[in-house]
Amino acid sequence: MRWGMVIDLKRCIGCYACQLACKAEHGTPPGVYYARVLKKEDGEYPTVRQFALPVLCNHCEDPPCVAACPTGASFKWEEDGIVDIDHDLCVGCRSCMMACPYTNRYFNDQPPHYFAQGMTPFEQARTERHQRNVVMKCNFCRDRVRAGKLPACVANCPTIARHFGDLDDPSSEISVLIKERGGFTLHPEAGTGPSVYYLPP
Amino acid sequence: MAEISAKYEQLIHDLRQDFRPQREWGEGRGLFLVIGHFLVGVAAGAWLFGLLFDYSPGLFAGFLLAGVGGIAHLGFLGRPERFWKMARHVRTAWVARGFVGLTLFLAGAALYMPPLVFRAWPWHATSAIGWLGWLMAAAGMVILIVYMGFVYSASKGIPFWTSSLHPLLYMTYALRGGAAALLVAMAMLGVPTEEIAQRLITIWIAITAFLIILFVLEIQGALTGGNAAARRSAREMLSGRFAGYFYGGTLTLGLLVPLALLSGKLVPLSVAVLAAVGLLSALGDFFMKYTTIRAGIYTPLELRPARMR
Repeated sequence: MRWGMVIDLKRCIGCYACQLACKAEHGTPPGVYYARVLKKEDGEYPTVRQFALPVLCNHCEDPPCVAACPTGASFKWEEDGIVDIDHDLCVGCRSCMMACPYTNRYFNDQPPHYFAQGMTPFEQARTERHQRNVVMKCNFCRDRVRAGKLPACVANCPTIARHFGDLDDPSSEISVLIKERGGFTLHPEAGTGPSVYYLPP
Repeated sequence: MAEISAKYEQLIHDLRQDFRPQREWGEGRGLFLVIGHFLVGVAAGAWLFGLLFDYSPGLFAGFLLAGVGGIAHLGFLGRPERFWKMARHVRTAWVARGFVGLTLFLAGAALYMPPLVFRAWPWHATSAIGWLGWLMAAAGMVILIVYMGFVYSASKGIPFWTSSLHPLLYMTYALRGGAAALLVAMAMLGVPTEEIAQRLITIWIAITAFLIILFVLEIQGALTGGNAAARRSAREMLSGRFAGYFYGGTLTLGLLVPLALLSGKLVPLSVAVLAAVGLLSALGDFFMKYTTIRAGIYTPLELRPARMR
């Protein structure tokens, strides 16, 4: 079993629903984005187009962040391939941030709320689990997935651009999409074996 | 609060950039990491030359610098109270290996050095405990000289640091720093013999020449290699945000002025000149490490052009 995600760039409209759903689900503090949407431009005038590129932790098969972590705080769950962080072990050395070729790790040293008046009760409930001065990142909503739900970014995508499933199962929806639509990963030259695939725009 | 807000605004600005600069190592409290890396490298080099020249003040300088370097590292960590957990992942993490090296070095030096100073110490430097300390410190010294470059070259997110020459470059910095520390120590505490000082100067010049070759090769590789982020980093260093530190600190203070002083044409060679050469050399190395770290730029997140058409 190896959880993976496929993001269809033809369907993605760059609405940021995934980014907001993730923020709401995890209550990540300012400056921490488990899921982000980048707006990119391609081509030269007059044949120019803009497209959205949603990014998140790639949950690599051979994660350089895990190898670089001196305490073992960054680790990979053997049973499902999700790369996670044990925040009780993190010393905040940020080696993992330098090792990640996808720049999807964040150091949490900001106040836990956006506004000077403090947090709402909802924000408080969501954010109190987060430790300060440690590195944070996406964990494919592991708690939701173990409860049989989809990750928040997948469940809340209005255009069904995100698909989630088992990469090890050749008959799973995502394996079929990758095979039939030419799924590819970011920075394959890094040799990390990402679990997040993209379908061409 | 204002400072934290500024950092947040900076992050949001950076996240919009194709070439996002790394700021965690080198900016704010990250400066402690640069200082720590610099001091620990110099400490290991000073210990090596202290042993080679049988010069105890060099050993003391190494011990002192390593201690201060260790404290600087702690100042950088987000959770310094958990520092001891850094020994857990030695199998793959260079930072963990460095932590073990520093611990070995400090513990070994603490066993080996006291009998060199205090005659009434419970054990001698040549006793079993003294030898154990010598061995631990020597093992720690080797690890400290070697590990640092690998910490950077294992950072796959920053292509500028992943050059295969980077570890060798950092080993050379450690040696040059050690020679510089000994020059300063000799200037302050007395030169054992003129021949030793002359040999140390020759070693410093040889290491410096080797360092220049390595640096030119590394920058050449970054500028002509296929990675756009590495090219951008090299340009930041040579003609961008950090050019002032590079030309003023590294090139002028750390290289040209010491060489001019050693030529004997500006001022006659003296103890003060030895001290100035050592200090300026170390200052130049610090700026070199600082600019290298600060010029680090993350690999841009982009689709392969071939896939877009």
